[in-house]
Amino acid sequence: MNALARCAAGLLLSTICLPFAASAADPQPTTEFTLDNGLKVVVREDHRAPVVVSQVWYKVGSSYETPGQTGLSHALEHMMFKGSSKAGPGEASLILRDLGAEENAFTSDDYTAYYQVLARDRLAVAFELEADRMATLRLPPEEFAREIEVIKEERRLRTDDKPNAKAYERFKAIAYPASGYHTPTIGWMADLERMKVEELRHWYESWYVPNNATLVVVGDVKPDEVKALAERFFGPVPRRDVPPSKKPLELAEPGLRQITVHVATQMPSLMYGFNVPSLATATDPQSVNALRLISALLDGGYSARIPTRLERGEELVTGASSDYDAYTRGDSLFTISATPNQQKKKTLADAEAGIWRLLDELKTKPPAKEELERVRAQVIAGLVYERDSITSQASTIGELETVGLSWKLIDQELAALQSVTPEDIQKAARTYFTRERLAVAHVLPEEKAQ
Amino acid sequence: MSQRIESRFARTRACSFALAVTFGLLGAGSAMAETAAETPKAIDKAASTLESLKELDGKAPARRSLNIQSWNTAEGARVLFVEAHELPMFDMRLLFAAGSSQDGANPGIALVTNAMLNEGVKGKNVSAIAEGFEGLGADFANGSYRDMAIASLRSLSAADKREPALKLFAEVVGKPTFPADSLARIKNQLLASFEYQKQNPGKLAGDELFTRLYGDHPYAHPSMGTAKSVAPLTLAQLKAFHAKAYAAGNAVIALVGDLTRAEAEAVASQVSAALPKGPALAQTVAPTEPKPSETHIEFPSKQTHLMLAELGITRGDPDYAALSLGNSILGGGGFGSRLMTEVREKRGLTYGVSSGFTPMQAQGPFMISLQTRAELSENTLKLVKDITRDFLANGPTQKELDDAKRELAGSFPLATASNAAIVGQLGAVGFYNLPLTYLEDFMTQSQSVTVEQIKTVMNKHLDADKLVIVTAGPTVPQKPLPPPTDKPAEQPLGVPEH
Repeated sequence: MNALARCAAGLLLSTICLPFAASAADPQPTTEFTLDNGLKVVVREDHRAPVVVSQVWYKVGSSYETPGQTGLSHALEHMMFKGSSKAGPGEASLILRDLGAEENAFTSDDYTAYYQVLARDRLAVAFELEADRMATLRLPPEEFAREIEVIKEERRLRTDDKPNAKAYERFKAIAYPASGYHTPTIGWMADLERMKVEELRHWYESWYVPNNATLVVVGDVKPDEVKALAERFFGPVPRRDVPPSKKPLELAEPGLRQITVHVATQMPSLMYGFNVPSLATATDPQSVNALRLISALLDGGYSARIPTRLERGEELVTGASSDYDAYTRGDSLFTISATPNQQKKKTLADAEAGIWRLLDELKTKPPAKEELERVRAQVIAGLVYERDSITSQASTIGELETVGLSWKLIDQELAALQSVTPEDIQKAARTYFTRERLAVAHVLPEEKAQ
Repeated sequence: MSQRIESRFARTRACSFALAVTFGLLGAGSAMAETAAETPKAIDKAASTLESLKELDGKAPARRSLNIQSWNTAEGARVLFVEAHELPMFDMRLLFAAGSSQDGANPGIALVTNAMLNEGVKGKNVSAIAEGFEGLGADFANGSYRDMAIASLRSLSAADKREPALKLFAEVVGKPTFPADSLARIKNQLLASFEYQKQNPGKLAGDELFTRLYGDHPYAHPSMGTAKSVAPLTLAQLKAFHAKAYAAGNAVIALVGDLTRAEAEAVASQVSAALPKGPALAQTVAPTEPKPSETHIEFPSKQTHLMLAELGITRGDPDYAALSLGNSILGGGGFGSRLMTEVREKRGLTYGVSSGFTPMQAQGPFMISLQTRAELSENTLKLVKDITRDFLANGPTQKELDDAKRELAGSFPLATASNAAIVGQLGAVGFYNLPLTYLEDFMTQSQSVTVEQIKTVMNKHLDADKLVIVTAGPTVPQKPLPPPTDKPAEQPLGVPEH
């Protein structure tokens, strides 16, 4: 029972309850169970408003794809809206729209997920439609012929006509020499051109089974009612073995790789990526917690080191950021990107030197106590703020479960970060921020024809 | 940098009745009324196959009731407050009539003033301010648009966090010091953004569209200004802008969260007292009707961006409910709208197409926007124009309207589901001086709208012959459109006939 529920139990205790209710790390009531067919279900109660989000996460994404078949997971996601036994092409969207639901889907390296946000009394409709397309997707060839054109438009819009997105796609391809993470989620254009609906059918039959999925429900519901509905609609979907899937492991030290990409930009910029483990692949979880803390120290807010020093102090860059995703199924990447300050005549070399100064300092000098306190305060508050959105709560749960971790990690986040010592940070910086692990992209304006 | 692709088309429908600063929707009619009529809506067919639909009672769903409390501070700021004790946090949003429509002769001054708020207060530079908020776990955010400039704070509600966060927030918004070195840096960063925009055909087309639509009206120029207009801005100009535009009388305070009424009053008083003293600024004048035009921007992209627009409505327009439903049918509701059905679903021409009214203080735009491969751009533009013309001529079907009403009622609970959503609603109600019952009124009005009414108001505000059109993309030989899916081979290539 959580603190709020305890409070509700007796009004007389309200003053005593206050400290509990105000406690940031109070877990919300969350229940998990698995249906007989292997579908894992996680239900988190949030009774603030009579709404609910339902998400189905499949363990398949672009990192599962092989050369020549890139973009299959994403294309299949599009085709999941093109009809199953109970609804014709596009009909499920219309049904949900007429009920006032928001629905969409997304695909990444590690997962493909579908969601509906709707008034709580309509949850059964979301389940019935989602279960139906899990089991009986039609994949009509004439629908595919049109939808692949939409996907190519999407690729032109998001990547080909976006110079920085195009450069990032090339960068990723060299940053992951061994693992499937080098594949762009939307797929290479050449593969979209030759994609066949039969390949999608095979992909669907291989991966879209209840035992390869997680159903996450967050909102104004009780676990018992969700369980009954899940058993009614998803329960009859048969279990089937899925192909063996292996974590995308990367070379520890692939060696320094560098590409220069000329794109339609006026602004030179650079991307750095260091090959590092994730929480799912690390033999030593403490190194991953240290990398997460480093990421917060570098770019966890406007008072972090990159904005304070590179953007405002030395004015080396007009913009820069760092990012580390610890929640990936395979080995991850610690990335830094920067746009040199042209008005101040700063070059890519100046920006790189500034980045290395920050990285080398992490190797030798422990962070100040106040800096660590700020990170802690942000994490504590962030755990509360995240609870304002049922969708972001569900997404965190779904992502953790799908990459092979447990949703329970949410409630251990603070403790994990607090356990990191200054020595852990220095050790991680020395281990991972080396040239042998580094991929670099220089993104430059196109050269005029001679 | 991990990549996540929202595969379908992000829609703006959640805003359809909302007051958010963003888009309203425009309903569009579909390619052909007759097409719509001969294709029964999915929900009817599916009702016979889906058990769960049969079990629904057809009633509008329950929603979180909002008790909006409102008062004015001693200095004249309007406050709107909703008490929500479920989470130990609160959200505050200050909205000033201090957007780029107040720029006058200095395009960009509103945005730069807003960006300078957290660059310095007495005894603290920009880094110390950032450390102050972040050390408390508080989020400060700011932004500047055409009508409004915003400063907001999200904080834990415990007194040891709330009080110092509010003190710092009040100083930042009310008594910024405008350091010279910060101004130089922000100008540089803006110059970099202007350079960056040159590679974005959608942005170039959007800027051109506003110029064509608004002429010399204050909405015409981009909120960011231009390289030429931002460079000469002085500290004295920014300070003067702040003194008049960030005055308490020109502010609305929206507040949601774990506060009692007494605490909320104290919070609002504290912030209001820190602001410069002064009255509300004059309302933005009405724009004059633009001449219809078609402008092309040559750009070496793979796709051509298409934007079609007319002047739309003000936020207080009594036709808004009917227009919003009409728009939702034409192109506002994402999948199922006529534009999405005809352009994407039946022909695969685009990833996304949408239409929308953006009601603003003065008439905001009505806009349709999409992108398609360059060689199909001319015929796609013609198709979109035909769909719009047809919708204006014939209106929606009764079925389309019934479905749109049902959708609106069904989505109502989502509009007040989180503190973040509520603070957005309160801010817009306050800023546009709408009644506290606005959300309920909008719902009630919407449910009584008729097909005839939609047809009437759509034609009152829009005219297919008066579109202002901007395209951006490469000039390439044009190709005919593929045939629509539900009308195979016997149809000639090209757009449907009327």
